[in-house]
Amino acid sequence: MANNNSGPDKPASLLMWVVAIGASLLLFYGLDQLIMASQGLPLNLDLTPAQ
Amino acid sequence: MAIFQTTQAHIPGVQRWFNKMTQTMFWTLLVMLVLGMFGIASEFTGFGAALAADAAVSTGVTAPEIAASDYPNIGFSSRSVVWIAAQMHLFFAAFVLAVPLFVVVIEWLGVKTNDQRYDDMAHEFMKVSMTAYSITALFGGLLAFALFVLYPHLMGYMTRVFDTQMLWYALLFFAESAILYVYYYSWGALRYGNRKWVHLSLGVALNVVGTSILFIANAWATFMMAPSGVDIATGAITGNIWEVMRGPLWNPVNLHRFIANIAFGGAVVGAYAGYKLLSAKTMGERAHYDWMGYTSNFIAVLAFLPLPFAGYWLMAEVYAYSQQMGITAMGGILAWLFIVQAVLIGTILLASNYYLWSGMSRTEGSQRYQWMIKYIAVVLVLGFLVWVTPHTIILRASEVALLGGSHHHLLGPLGIMPAKNIAVNLMLIATFLSFQLYRRSDKQVTVSWAPWGNAVLTAIYLIAVINIIFAGIYYGYFTNTVYKVGSSVTQVVSTLVVIVAGVVIDSLMFKKAKILPSQWGRVSNRSQYALFALPIAFTWLMALMGYVRSSVRTHWHVYTVVKDNSADNFIPAIGYAGNMMTIVTVLFLLCILFIFWIASLSNSKQIPPVNKAG
Repeated sequence: MANNNSGPDKPASLLMWVVAIGASLLLFYGLDQLIMASQGLPLNLDLTPAQ
Repeated sequence: MAIFQTTQAHIPGVQRWFNKMTQTMFWTLLVMLVLGMFGIASEFTGFGAALAADAAVSTGVTAPEIAASDYPNIGFSSRSVVWIAAQMHLFFAAFVLAVPLFVVVIEWLGVKTNDQRYDDMAHEFMKVSMTAYSITALFGGLLAFALFVLYPHLMGYMTRVFDTQMLWYALLFFAESAILYVYYYSWGALRYGNRKWVHLSLGVALNVVGTSILFIANAWATFMMAPSGVDIATGAITGNIWEVMRGPLWNPVNLHRFIANIAFGGAVVGAYAGYKLLSAKTMGERAHYDWMGYTSNFIAVLAFLPLPFAGYWLMAEVYAYSQQMGITAMGGILAWLFIVQAVLIGTILLASNYYLWSGMSRTEGSQRYQWMIKYIAVVLVLGFLVWVTPHTIILRASEVALLGGSHHHLLGPLGIMPAKNIAVNLMLIATFLSFQLYRRSDKQVTVSWAPWGNAVLTAIYLIAVINIIFAGIYYGYFTNTVYKVGSSVTQVVSTLVVIVAGVVIDSLMFKKAKILPSQWGRVSNRSQYALFALPIAFTWLMALMGYVRSSVRTHWHVYTVVKDNSADNFIPAIGYAGNMMTIVTVLFLLCILFIFWIASLSNSKQIPPVNKAG
């Protein structure tokens, strides 16, 4: 996904990636919990089956 | 046109009213199409239940008990005759119902962007499908005659069950033909201004009727697989027509066929564009057909991406209706066909990706992304190999001893669904990435937040891939079966999140992007063969899965209601079925070549003879 913009400096760039990956992790974690629970298959916090 | 414009110029009130009316008509018809689609009314509003509540029908009709001697003997397999006629009819029907669906969208894009090229392309797509329309009707007639002559008792029962609906079906064909001809031949007469909206409305009306035809025919096929509205023991009709139609498999088949038809239609017109590009004599023609081929491939891929999920829903409903039927399809003799299916789907994905990669050569801007192609190819090939790995192989004792058991210790785990689910989802994500890179090739981003957009998108790709692999391995191999099945939904949603996020972020990020020069027609001739590979693989795939869908009824005409006592009351062997599928595929492709030739013939003009005397 390269582009020709110069982009932010190093610390800002690191922060950007941490936020992006963290937000994505949260999104997919929430989706996993929600989708499995909606099918009557709840998960524990560590994503192991709760049943 | 002039009179029309003058009239409006003199009466602006009427013009405003006409503007509103034509556009309202278009949008109303569009809403009708969307609402009618997939039986939304029945799924969510209880409309069907309300109709069924006053049903309690008992007509005295019961399922026929057909003896072997009741079937007419024509000297060769009746099933084969119906097989060929039905499959050919379905190929053409899929094509002619699909083309107007995307043609209306392309035509609307022409209005929206004020770009005449869209309009010309939409018109040319319709031209290709016009000859196919009459061939569809011919094979439909042949199929109907074959069914009524060769299976009279079954068809007698089906006719009583579906009653006057069969007449409505025939009437819808009249409506379809009438609207189709008006739509096609009025293209030039209703091309600009408000008239264009009238034309678009005709296109939507055509699709409303076409989709209705599709859904009615689906009701007959799904009734034979999973009958409803009848007493299973006697076959007596216990519900009204709505209960009979709305069996458990109706909507899954509606959705699956609707999407698959669009992918198939896109692939066939793509081959037409490829054929025209290779035979183009000027650079202008080449550019036009290159653009047409790209659009066709775009339609085919876009419709194809959600298709596995629709198929998954259909199979889940098959299992929910009858575990035995599900196991026959995916765990018994027919299971091997899903390996053949994997080969064909792999071919489709490899061909469409290759076409996109080749198409990137149209612009210099693509050089920024070309390094990624090899990694995408690796994912596609590995996914393909996992998908084609069989689970159960028929082995000799010596081979079992060599293998160390009935399953290979390393490859065995790749033969079951969790591995296939990982493979198919990753292949779809890889295909979407190819598509996204292609779309970005001729653009240079200008927004200041582009690094953030790229970081979020990359993170979504990365975490989605990890989530798909985690769900497939952990829930697929280390938890119980219900979690294995349930986690496949999280995999599907992960793939959809990537696609939706990719479309949304790129749309916003490249809205005001600088467009880099690109040259239509500057594509390799070799890439056009990918456009030929697509309809061949799609056609074979439809023949294959049609055989699976129909064969799961085993020795029943109508599953558990009307027994098949004919000489063909068994699932045909894979080799025999393979030959039948190949025959219909080749036959269809020959007909398609004829259609392409006819479509080109209409552009040919004989040079007038020189009058030597004058």
